[in-house]
Amino acid sequence: MSALAVLLRKELHATFTSPIAYVLAAVFLLVLGYTFSLTLFATKTANLIYIFHQMYVLSILLVPVLMMRSFAEERRADTLELLLTAPVREVWIVLAKFLAGLALVYGMYAGALLYAVILGLYGEPDFGPIYSGYLALLLHGGLLVAIGLMTSSLTENQVVSAALSLGIALMLWFADSVAYLLPAPFDVVAVNLSLIGHFRPMVTGSVFVSDIGYFVTLAMLALFLTSRWLSER
Amino acid sequence: MSGSSDSNAADVTPAVVARDLVKRYGPVTALSDVSLDIARGEVFGLLGPNGSGKTTFIRMLAGYLAPTRGQLLVCGLDVVRDALPARRRLGYVPEAAPLYGHMRVGEFLEFMGRLRGLAAADLGAAVERVVARLALGDVLRKSTRALSRGYRQRVAIAQALIHDPEIVVLDEPTNGLDPRQIIEVRELVRSLAGHHTVVMSSHILTEVGKTADRVAILLGGRLLGVRAVADTPDLEDWFLSLT
Repeated sequence: MSALAVLLRKELHATFTSPIAYVLAAVFLLVLGYTFSLTLFATKTANLIYIFHQMYVLSILLVPVLMMRSFAEERRADTLELLLTAPVREVWIVLAKFLAGLALVYGMYAGALLYAVILGLYGEPDFGPIYSGYLALLLHGGLLVAIGLMTSSLTENQVVSAALSLGIALMLWFADSVAYLLPAPFDVVAVNLSLIGHFRPMVTGSVFVSDIGYFVTLAMLALFLTSRWLSER
Repeated sequence: MSGSSDSNAADVTPAVVARDLVKRYGPVTALSDVSLDIARGEVFGLLGPNGSGKTTFIRMLAGYLAPTRGQLLVCGLDVVRDALPARRRLGYVPEAAPLYGHMRVGEFLEFMGRLRGLAAADLGAAVERVVARLALGDVLRKSTRALSRGYRQRVAIAQALIHDPEIVVLDEPTNGLDPRQIIEVRELVRSLAGHHTVVMSSHILTEVGKTADRVAILLGGRLLGVRAVADTPDLEDWFLSLT
């Protein structure tokens, strides 16, 4: 079994035996169920735009809490010393934690597929924006998991890790709101850094390579920095 | 994995070679120009008060910390340049004896074995070997969270031995143990000598005196001296004369 597979198995075991994961997943699905019912009865339109935006916000609030344990707990319990002195590369340790985090977050998102099924059964939704909306969510979730992992690698305090992660996500979310205050070319940079600016087009059915590239690039940057910080010791 | 699998040429190489080893944390120098050799098969003790640099040396040897300057070789392999091959030669027990709380003892040992590159076919036998050696049969199915301090230490040592490493590195292995457990760990460490090289740290003079073949004294990050225990009738006098 490769080092990545061994580490991933351990991470999945740790992730899915933690009660926090189940509590947060339940909160996530309850809030979504409530919003879905409410918007469906109020608007009587067969789309998931509201739900996708709700999932966007809930992910920003919940993923930092889900990811805060990953490295912070290993550091607090001194088990990080076991991992980092084993004959495995830091990048495998980071990737295993990233994939386990993705499995959890995507598992939560999978629960929300039910809403698309309900719309398909009882209405005639345009499935294009639904597919692209789910793609946006997968990319968004991946980026948040990577940011959560990065901040967790910086501290042994889980609350600090979650707060940092939340702070970064909020700054990215609102990056474009300060653009009008900035001189060129920083205004363009601020607009292009905006999380919602790259999320919104996909939710409404417009898929641009630049939006996909934004999520993938930032997630890879966060994973790279995590790996670097683990190596610097 | 053990020394017996190496060529004769490799066997004459010291297990550990440190040359002008320096570790700095910002402005603080934790270890200053430490040079020493550790022969294969010996039990080598690092003795010194808290903050003397023992754990820093141990952590650099285990690959957890990188030296700021100098060279540290494990079986001829540089711990920075050849990090992964060097780590394969080592089994390491950190001071806190950390274990994964969500695993049972057997699962933890299997995980550590796999992580250290043991093949699936060899894993069962390796776990059986360390379980027998550390007398862990009674707790094999217990959660690691439910273990007493003594058992935690035994499991931590078992994970370090699972891949039959050439060098076993123990950071304060008797810390927090009761007298009986201390005697058990001492006997275990002595039993490892010969087949394994053991590098252990302690701030308890009698502990090192009863366990090690040779002792190095560290103070304020500096190596003050290295001596064979057999040639030092009064370890306490020697320690006081140096410090």
